[in-house]
Amino acid sequence: MEDFNWIFKFLGRLHPLLVHFPIGLLVVALFLELLTLGGKRPGLREGIHWMVFLGTVSAVLSALFGWLLRNQEDYSGTLVDNHQYLGIATALFAIITLALLRGTLKGKLPHFRIYRISLLCTVILLTLAGHLGANLTHGEDYLTSVFTDDKTAYDEGKGLELLAELKRTDTLSAAQQDRLNLEVRAILAHNCYQCHSENKQKGDLVLDSKEGVFKGGESGEVVIAGNPDRSELYRRITLAPDHDEVMPKKGKVLKKSEIALIGLWIKNGAHWSDQEVKVFPEAELALVKPVLPESDEKHPVDKLIGNYFDQQNKEWPPLVEDRVFVRRAYLDIVGLLPPKKAVDSFVKNTRPDKRSVLIDSLLADGHNYTQHWLSFWNDLLRNDYSGTGFITGGRKQITDWLYNSLLHNKGYDQMVKELIDPSPESEGFIKGIQWRGVVNASQRTEMQAAQNIGQSLLGVNVKCASCHNSFVSNLTLEQSYGFASIFADSVLELNRCDKPLGKMAEVGFLYPELGDVKAENVQERLFKLSQVMVKPENGRLYRTIVNRYWAKLMGRGIVEPLDEMDNQPWDRDLLDWLASDFIDSGHDLKHLIKRIMTSKAYQLAAANYERPDEVKEDYVFNGPLLRRLSAEQFSDAVSQVFFPVFHAVEYDPSGQKPTAQRIWHREIKFDRDVLPEPGKRYFRKSFVIPAKNILEAKALISVDHAYTLYINGEQVAQGNDWKRVGKIHVGRFLRPGKNLVAIEGVNEGVIANPAGVLFAMEIEFDDGHKIKVDSDTSWKSSAEHPNGAWTAVDFDDTAWGQVRNYGHSNWGKLVGFTFEDDRSGFARASLVKQHSFLKALGRPSRENVTTSRDQQATLLQALELTNGEFFNSVLEEAAELWIEKFGGEGQKIVDHLYWNTLGRNPSEKERNLLLSVLGDRPKKEDVQDVFWSTVILPEFQFIN
Amino acid sequence: MQEDNKRREFIKKMAAASLSASATSIPVASFLGSCSRPVQKLASTADTVILLWMAGGMAHTETFDPKAYVPYEKGVESKRVLSTFPKIPTVVDGLHFSKGLESIAGVMDKGAIIRSYKSADLGHILHTRHQYHWHTCYEPPQSVQAPHIGAWIAKELGPKNPVIPPFIAMGQRFTVGEAEELKAFHSAGFLGTEFGPFLIPDPAGGLESVRPPKGMSLKRFEARYKLYKELADKSGFLKQGSDYQKESLMRSMEQSYRLLNSPEAKVFDLSQEPKEVYDTYNTGRFGLGCLLAKRLAQNGGRFISVSTEYEPFLGWDTHENGHIRAKKMKELVDRPIAQLIKDLDESGHLDRTLVILASEFSRDAIMEGRPGETVKDQVDQPDIIEDEKFYGMHRHFTDGSSILLWGGGVEKGLVYGKTADERPCSSVENPVVIDQVHQSIYHALGIHPETHYTIEGRPFYTTPDGQGKPILDLFGQPVGKS
Repeated sequence: MEDFNWIFKFLGRLHPLLVHFPIGLLVVALFLELLTLGGKRPGLREGIHWMVFLGTVSAVLSALFGWLLRNQEDYSGTLVDNHQYLGIATALFAIITLALLRGTLKGKLPHFRIYRISLLCTVILLTLAGHLGANLTHGEDYLTSVFTDDKTAYDEGKGLELLAELKRTDTLSAAQQDRLNLEVRAILAHNCYQCHSENKQKGDLVLDSKEGVFKGGESGEVVIAGNPDRSELYRRITLAPDHDEVMPKKGKVLKKSEIALIGLWIKNGAHWSDQEVKVFPEAELALVKPVLPESDEKHPVDKLIGNYFDQQNKEWPPLVEDRVFVRRAYLDIVGLLPPKKAVDSFVKNTRPDKRSVLIDSLLADGHNYTQHWLSFWNDLLRNDYSGTGFITGGRKQITDWLYNSLLHNKGYDQMVKELIDPSPESEGFIKGIQWRGVVNASQRTEMQAAQNIGQSLLGVNVKCASCHNSFVSNLTLEQSYGFASIFADSVLELNRCDKPLGKMAEVGFLYPELGDVKAENVQERLFKLSQVMVKPENGRLYRTIVNRYWAKLMGRGIVEPLDEMDNQPWDRDLLDWLASDFIDSGHDLKHLIKRIMTSKAYQLAAANYERPDEVKEDYVFNGPLLRRLSAEQFSDAVSQVFFPVFHAVEYDPSGQKPTAQRIWHREIKFDRDVLPEPGKRYFRKSFVIPAKNILEAKALISVDHAYTLYINGEQVAQGNDWKRVGKIHVGRFLRPGKNLVAIEGVNEGVIANPAGVLFAMEIEFDDGHKIKVDSDTSWKSSAEHPNGAWTAVDFDDTAWGQVRNYGHSNWGKLVGFTFEDDRSGFARASLVKQHSFLKALGRPSRENVTTSRDQQATLLQALELTNGEFFNSVLEEAAELWIEKFGGEGQKIVDHLYWNTLGRNPSEKERNLLLSVLGDRPKKEDVQDVFWSTVILPEFQFIN
Repeated sequence: MQEDNKRREFIKKMAAASLSASATSIPVASFLGSCSRPVQKLASTADTVILLWMAGGMAHTETFDPKAYVPYEKGVESKRVLSTFPKIPTVVDGLHFSKGLESIAGVMDKGAIIRSYKSADLGHILHTRHQYHWHTCYEPPQSVQAPHIGAWIAKELGPKNPVIPPFIAMGQRFTVGEAEELKAFHSAGFLGTEFGPFLIPDPAGGLESVRPPKGMSLKRFEARYKLYKELADKSGFLKQGSDYQKESLMRSMEQSYRLLNSPEAKVFDLSQEPKEVYDTYNTGRFGLGCLLAKRLAQNGGRFISVSTEYEPFLGWDTHENGHIRAKKMKELVDRPIAQLIKDLDESGHLDRTLVILASEFSRDAIMEGRPGETVKDQVDQPDIIEDEKFYGMHRHFTDGSSILLWGGGVEKGLVYGKTADERPCSSVENPVVIDQVHQSIYHALGIHPETHYTIEGRPFYTTPDGQGKPILDLFGQPVGKS
């Protein structure tokens, strides 16, 4: 077949020639037919008959050949489609017309009227098809290109308006010159930048800068001011669409109005405006605080939402019942489940303002509020207890600063100022992450500072523009480097995609209208920037944070994605009102939470959307979304109800420094300290007690993995779980003079792994004097089983080695390792070092700013919950505890379980099902499985 | 907080991105679509990849690219020492390895060697930074988290056998020094945890990761799941909020249940191997990793890495005693690797399994970094060696190292590139960079070289800017003839 393709191609190309026959013949036939109206000139009939016949045959042929042409030479597009349909319709109508004419002539039809109407239709169709054909074909060559109905974001209306205006005047005013130039640059941006910009310089031609436009490309200048006809750019855009040299590209040409504007611009001297051309939509910097609409609603947010519902022709959906509200409020403010007592008394409470009162009391719970919201801020400010960079000193935590800022409800403006113009406690944010070695230009720490401030605080993407001019926003490379230079000791050189450009950055903030940030040194620049950032005129800063809080409490932002604040909000008034109200409140973050949570909008039942994309574009607010418990909320809820998931924190809000060290036998391989191999190790520490009366002596011990503790040769305690702190009264084992603590430690496992002894003893005498004995590097250890009474005071350990301090990094600070009475008993997940369990549940590794966590359930997550040893062992411990606590009564276990996890009584069916599993004497395994089945329930895992 | 399925909003397949670009009317974003070729499934020569990771910097002159042997004697000058082992022949004519690699030398007729790999120039050496670069093709830090090559493959091809996770990483623990940096690249990055590594630090315990929790019988495991399903049905909650959110949760639990309940989990059970096979492989954790990799490759694994494990100053990270330790490392890797190749070949799986052996960079007795870019020294190496502990390759060398490849369409017996025979033993012919290595792997798997996703408004390619090119010569398709 391949060989005969030329025939089809050739026939196809006959199509344009052939189309002129039906055009001529059928049109003339119609004309002659008109002459016969009223029964005149019957002599024409024979000729008309032949013309219709020949016209029909050629119409059919040209439709056929046209179809060949299209298929042989790859035409596509709506224009071609329409031409084809009209052509085929013409041919069909011609056949019908011919049949009707013949029928009439043979006397089968009474008169010529139907045939005449049909002929008229044929000619109209023919004209339309011919017109489209003419549009397709341009010049003597055949078109070879694709036509699409390409409507880009370029707003033609504005251009047409301008064109009309300029056509009326001979001389252009300066303002008109500017507008003309900006319009032309917008046209270039939408049609030419793809290939001719700083990013991609085809033919060495760059059209997104003044220099580029006037420098021209490899074939020389492209714009000759005042002379469009001599300008290469103008010549190329005015070529026929099928010309090889036509621009933007063969088959895609500019609109007439666009060409006219460019021509006009060149003719008028190709003026270049100093203004920046804004290709992408950009949100206004300033806030517009709307006047609240008249409404029966009392809450300002509800007045606005009521107005919104009116516009959407929606009714207010129902509010949630108290039981649901109290769970929401607890989880949203303090991140914990409400205790049963709190639910009961809240439901019973008859005060009309009880919801608002509850919100106040929860917001007043400083540490719990802080320990919940800390996770949000850690994600946002990329702060974590561990991660890359720390090892070589290339990163710094801001945890203490952040914790205290939240605890004392520091004003948001003050927080921003302290992040940007930092003290040593808050400098970690703009210091970024530095790995050892050299770093590429777009990731130097100054650029990271610009990127992170942009993303976290301003909702603008600087990352794109730190490598090349952005193609998602109006930001340029120069602006990014200018912004980054604020944080730099020396002037930065611009790099495009890591290649130096030989051009130095000029210091400047992204929004220069807010004020100048130039200064001699970094310190002053940071000060200036911090002042400029928090100005009320910087609506962006405040919109961004209130939108994040709204999203956190409602499941979806007023603008989405949360980091793209130039996108359209679903209710601009609401966003700007909240931001203005936030400023008026003194930038009070708790006020913001209260504002949102006291509204009816927050208290609506969870909205039902059928498909995920309904909450993306074209979103209509209909109430909060279901939200999944965060990794921290889930973990804390399990700790609250069952058994501590975590026992040790990485950050201790009390600020107490541990005095005891995690020690183990020093293990060396090839002259290097290495992780300890599994096996038994022996530890000794002697100390002297003065001859005084001991009032009280307590010891704390935690050993990874297991220990036997001896004092003065007597066995005192044993343990095999480092997380459970042994708390022992040891007074009776002690005596005046030399004493000895000995520990036999076991490192389990099959490969080398972290192991450590943590021990502290406090001896208080009746005169108030205290002495302490802590595990530290003065202890001695041995890997060999000692011969003789090694736990006794007089054993000779001179041959033993000194222990090594293994640090706390593998264990954290045990909350139970305290001589004081136990506090809450579990470690809040927000204070815990990143852990595989939390990671699986979606806590991000804070290597980059994370402003929205992945809400999608994944297989790895489910695996962690299903067979993760860590999680299952927590539930196992809990089962043991509960059986003891409830004396093995299934009924009590079930009720307690439902109240504490789901905040309600089990239904009759649920109760029966669970009791049937537990039986009369519940076994540990059964209780554990009941626990598991409950915490996996969507009802538990979602905030309703 | 965000709505369900947000990831799909952020990450769009290139084709989808260009389509949506016209819908959202962002003109320049269509730049992505218009200037790149559409992703399509290409012809492939491999379905499975096994990466044998020589962690810590394996000296090429001590292993697969031996130079002049200078035996140890007291007083020998460091600068004279190029190789501390004599050469041995391989089954390929003219190809020599270093003593101690006799078994691998015996299977080189089934594979190829690249002798001219150049690591990145990242300044003052940090192993994990180079490892991050090797595994992700991006230099850290990055403004978005770069995915591991295994995650890219998992994302693009999915599991080969639905119950075997498509990205399995064996041998590396994360309790060692530089653990955070190791975690940073054992990650699916922005692709999402779904495509992250299934970690098996100890291959002997691999089975546990795919069975019901320890101590739970299959019967109990099934009953537990049934109870959960019944409770979920009975709870009125399923009527509230959006269904798709709840369904995503229920579905993931079901998948997990099915995987853990699957009889195919025995693939992870090394005790299923005959004792003599087990013993042949068992040179330690690495050897058993090779054995598990073999079982996985034969049963539908997709991307499997086996690491000798990086722990600062251990393994291949020889800052002293280089000779003795290289000898020990060869004992660890030589036999199991050769056996892996033989077994895969015999079972017919080698044809569609690409096995790669590589290391983040090489080592040298003298040069730290590379010629012209020597960097801050980290090793105390005397000019005259008076103590045998200074005999060996102790400095980090980034200008030439070896990569071995077998199967998966790789031309057998090929030697590609070479390094200088005198110091500095740099790549002097056909230098290869990481982008080419990754693209060659993608080429074998039929993954388009310009595969990318849009994250935070930017295209993120498998290799930076989508510029990397495969080395077609490896597949017997010299450039220009394909």
